[in-house]
Amino acid sequence: MNRWSYIIMRVLQVIPTFFVVMALVFFMVRLLPGDPTSAILGERATEAMIARGNKELGLDKPLIVQFGVFVGHFFQGDLGDSINLKVPVFRLILERMPVTLFLTLYASVLAVLLAVPLSFVAALRRDTGIDSAIRGMFQIGLSMPVFYIGLQLLTILGARWRLFPIGGYGETFFEHLWYLFLPALTLGFNLAAILMRNLRAAILEVLQSEYVDFARAKGLRSSLILGKHVLRNAVISTVTLFGLNIGGLIGGAVITESVFAIPGVGRLMVDSIFGRDYPVIQGLTLTFAVLVSLTFILTDIVHAQLDPRVEVT
Amino acid sequence: MKRFVAYALIAVAIATTFVSAASKRGGKMTYGRYADSLFLDPVLNDANVDIWIILNLYDTLLQPTNDGKGTKPGLATRYRVSGDGKTFTLTLRNGVKFSDGSSLSANDVKFSLDRAKNPDNGAWNGLIASIETVTITNPNTVTLALKYPDPSLPAALATFNTAILPQKQFLASAGAKDQDKAKAFAEKPIGTGPFVLTDWKKGSSMTLKRNPNYWNKGDDGAALPYLDEINFQIIPDDNTRILKLQSGELDGAEFIPLARVAELQKDPKLNMTLFPSTEVDSVIMNNRPKLKDGSDNPLSNVKVRQALNYATDKDAIIKLVTFGLAKPSKSFMSSATPLYAAQHGYMYNLEKAKTLLKQAGFDKGLEVSTMIVAGNADQTAIASALQQMWSQVGVKLRIDQLDSASNRAKYRANDFMMRVSKWTDDIADPSEITGYFAIFKNVESLHTGFQNDQLEGIFEQSQREPSRAKRASLYRSIQKIYFDAAPIVFLYEAPYPVALQKYVKGFVQIPLGNNIFVNTSLEK
Repeated sequence: MNRWSYIIMRVLQVIPTFFVVMALVFFMVRLLPGDPTSAILGERATEAMIARGNKELGLDKPLIVQFGVFVGHFFQGDLGDSINLKVPVFRLILERMPVTLFLTLYASVLAVLLAVPLSFVAALRRDTGIDSAIRGMFQIGLSMPVFYIGLQLLTILGARWRLFPIGGYGETFFEHLWYLFLPALTLGFNLAAILMRNLRAAILEVLQSEYVDFARAKGLRSSLILGKHVLRNAVISTVTLFGLNIGGLIGGAVITESVFAIPGVGRLMVDSIFGRDYPVIQGLTLTFAVLVSLTFILTDIVHAQLDPRVEVT
Repeated sequence: MKRFVAYALIAVAIATTFVSAASKRGGKMTYGRYADSLFLDPVLNDANVDIWIILNLYDTLLQPTNDGKGTKPGLATRYRVSGDGKTFTLTLRNGVKFSDGSSLSANDVKFSLDRAKNPDNGAWNGLIASIETVTITNPNTVTLALKYPDPSLPAALATFNTAILPQKQFLASAGAKDQDKAKAFAEKPIGTGPFVLTDWKKGSSMTLKRNPNYWNKGDDGAALPYLDEINFQIIPDDNTRILKLQSGELDGAEFIPLARVAELQKDPKLNMTLFPSTEVDSVIMNNRPKLKDGSDNPLSNVKVRQALNYATDKDAIIKLVTFGLAKPSKSFMSSATPLYAAQHGYMYNLEKAKTLLKQAGFDKGLEVSTMIVAGNADQTAIASALQQMWSQVGVKLRIDQLDSASNRAKYRANDFMMRVSKWTDDIADPSEITGYFAIFKNVESLHTGFQNDQLEGIFEQSQREPSRAKRASLYRSIQKIYFDAAPIVFLYEAPYPVALQKYVKGFVQIPLGNNIFVNTSLEK
């Protein structure tokens, strides 16, 4: 099977997953105790007010009818209006999603920029002071909660040294880079730690292999050996790990966005769940499902590129 | 010569006083909020995040005074109540313009009040349920015919839901139903208030610019407001909001956790302010004979409820939860609510609590439970403290942590024993809090199930009593009856903690919660 049919197959496999997610999220949010009407009307609402609110929102109809309406609207490209924010869900996602994507992408880039060179240094200087220092630093990254790292970075680099703004997102691309540096570092640090642990071990393993000895015996420059032979072979399992952890990054973004006051979807998701804002929860979950599926596909493709033995079965 | 110097000094002193008294004009104020607004329609909104800033955009006919207990002229310069108390005549202010330049007319007033009193519209129409009809008598007079004399009406006409909207512009908004029009209108609201909404990135920031047509004048005789612009930044994390304030990126920040107040009070650049509020914190109890699951409810016995009040060391809770910044509750309403009457009793007394429990037949102890919102630090602290305090009289308290929507669902279904709860008034009148806390027909007395015929009779009477003195006396009785019946565990009343840079002057958060920026200036 050639590369294109492999990609198309993988994309087609996503479609049934998507429909399962759609049904699951619709019924699961309605299984939660509480409802959007009393969440927005608050403590003071009388039964009559709640009933009127439910009628206006169409929540008085049987569940299966509501599901039909949801699916029907979905195929017309309409995700409904947010119950709490009174704006179309599609617009909300369009406004907020780029912010979260920027943050997670930025965090991934920082994580790779941190993890790759440092793993090499650690592996090549195995069991020296440098190795221990690098491994120690990442152990901290693994064990410390995201909000705590974020708060410390904010307090020291933001409030005390005034190197970075405290929270916010900025207006232009370069402002985004500047404003989001601390949050992306906070978020990326944990991922870097995971990648680094794996990559260091993989590099050590590859360095022991015979083809590396052979390349050395041929008299190849060590930069060529490391770049072409070692990195390419060591990085395969790390790519898979990276792909799997992107979903985790989105989870971490919820907390990071809150600490750094970034208007992304993470915070929106939490608020919507607490407010039982069904249309927003549904819209966001579906968007996440698509994004995570795409990441997995991309990971598989990269994996297949790196390792020609990988084929679709 | 000496005398001349003395005169000169006095002259200089007077001159500088005048100079410093005039507020500085211009500038942009950046204010950190814990959450964004949701829906800026005066009638259909439901949340404090809207209510507390909406009066910067719209005006009401009367306005609340800064102490939150009275009213002063707003879009109406005066009002007259007829002898039988059933006709209310308002004289409108001349020359008032909306932010888009159109003139305020009596039609706008009639339209807005008719919309606000419509029982199909929103949660607040009950506050002006006494209005039968709104009539335009002449271009600057509007007459309200009342179903019954309503002493709370002036306060209601100073409350957000009776704010005046421009009829034509509202009706021209997109949508067929009132609700759809309100959604469209509230995206770009037009009001007569001191500020205009010019930019809103939901969940992130909101910009209000000075309304050039605003009618009220400042201390220099020119039109208010002093500020050119307010930028609200939404920063949900308390620590981040404070860091941003300390680093000078914010001019002010709301909802400072009480744990941080003492630290910020020491900061020489900041003015840590505790505005008096109508917030009351309490633990409400299910007073019904049976619980939802059919079992007997020990809390239906008034002696048990009183015993729990005696076994509660309010001062200790105030120290623990509010770091000493709150006052013990002496009624179900706060001391900032008009016609408040402090009650005496329920001083911390374990012996008394034990005696009452014994009289109620629980000398061997009993088990109760309370719901708290999961992750809410204040509620966790309150419940843990009560757990420890009540264990000394043999009462075992179980704490059920639930997310806010589940917690509310059980509350609405009367499926709880106790619930930690917080309240703030929306109107400068005691009838709102009393209607919810003590009157069964609204929400079953905050779902406690408490019902007292004598109290309800007095309340009915107070709702139509024009004399303030007589009404105050009726409210003393209401508060006494409620206090003795102890449907709730009385805890404390807490202030609104706002931290401002020292150069920010004239900002007020009134006891009802409204943030008033009209007189705010940046004196830097």
